[in-house]
Amino acid sequence: MTEFRGVGYLLAVTAVAGGVTFLLRAFPFLFFGNGKPSPWVLYLGRRLSPAAIAMLTVYCLAAYARERIPAEHCWGAAEILASCAVVGMQVWKRNPLLSILAGTALYMVLVQSVIR
Amino acid sequence: MDRKHDREESPRPEAALRADCGSAPARRAAADSIPVLMGYLSMGFAAGVLLTAHGGVSHPWFWGALTSAVCISGALQFVFVGWFAAPTPLATVALLTLFLNIRYSMYGLSLIERFRRTSRLRRLYLIWALTDETYALETAHPAEDPREDLRYCFTLSALNHLYWIVGVTAGALAGAALPFSHRGIDFAMLALFLVILTDQCRERANRIPALIGGTAALIAFAVAGPRWMLIVAMALILGALLLLRRRLERRDEKEPGA
Repeated sequence: MTEFRGVGYLLAVTAVAGGVTFLLRAFPFLFFGNGKPSPWVLYLGRRLSPAAIAMLTVYCLAAYARERIPAEHCWGAAEILASCAVVGMQVWKRNPLLSILAGTALYMVLVQSVIR
Repeated sequence: MDRKHDREESPRPEAALRADCGSAPARRAAADSIPVLMGYLSMGFAAGVLLTAHGGVSHPWFWGALTSAVCISGALQFVFVGWFAAPTPLATVALLTLFLNIRYSMYGLSLIERFRRTSRLRRLYLIWALTDETYALETAHPAEDPREDLRYCFTLSALNHLYWIVGVTAGALAGAALPFSHRGIDFAMLALFLVILTDQCRERANRIPALIGGTAALIAFAVAGPRWMLIVAMALILGALLLLRRRLERRDEKEPGA
């Protein structure tokens, strides 16, 4: 169980995330105010997002892998089951909120009572 | 009413006309924002509950209000759950936010001209509040008259911003009152990424970039370890996307429907 990190940490996290988000939103206004961006930039704008999201998915899974792959955690069975539930729900129902809540609830039940 | 209207209209008809139309764009913005109201309240509520859900760590409700007011980003709000539950280096916070919200960096392209005619402060707010849904409505309903157009955009941004804060704060209040253990709640972040990835992969042209991203992350994890993997992976992704640009764009042309 993690410790409460204090107000300073939480404020810093909010400021950094908010600042980066604002800079991203301001990016075209800052750099392309006087003309059209090159086709390279437009191409990256279209195709970088799926690559980045796939990367973040692996990044998250890697964080779990370090502590939960060992045999006492059933080789990450909780992560695999809950991930499959999320993807399955999203393919089936196409409701992001439902998929996230269902997957997270399943994972919480699994790690709190079944696969500790 | 009628007499007053006449009196105003006779000396300066254009001014009276403008005053009459003045509230019309605001009303249109309010009507257009109703679907966003429903979406933001439910999505924000869920993210707020997860943020403050009681367990080993409990956060006061106002963190929901603050984070939602500052960031106004649905995906980021779910990632905050993980950051609030477990300590995360600020450099990682910055990188994750960058990658997660990289799509925002293209939205402004179609709004540069429209936002040029307003004051600096108002333009900053319009940019700050540029969410997926606000962007979609703004680009779907451009008005001929620039003043009306800006009033529409401004009202829409403020309303959507308000809905989001109310949703997340209400959820945060509810989450702080629920006495269940939050162990495992950080899974919401991975769940969010899986949901976005699943939806992106419905579009055929996104599948190879997604495959590149996943492979690059695996290679980076093996080579650089968890601490530096994001930076290494991002360099690999940029390199691969630029090298494969011609091939990927040719595929796009071949499958216009995809």
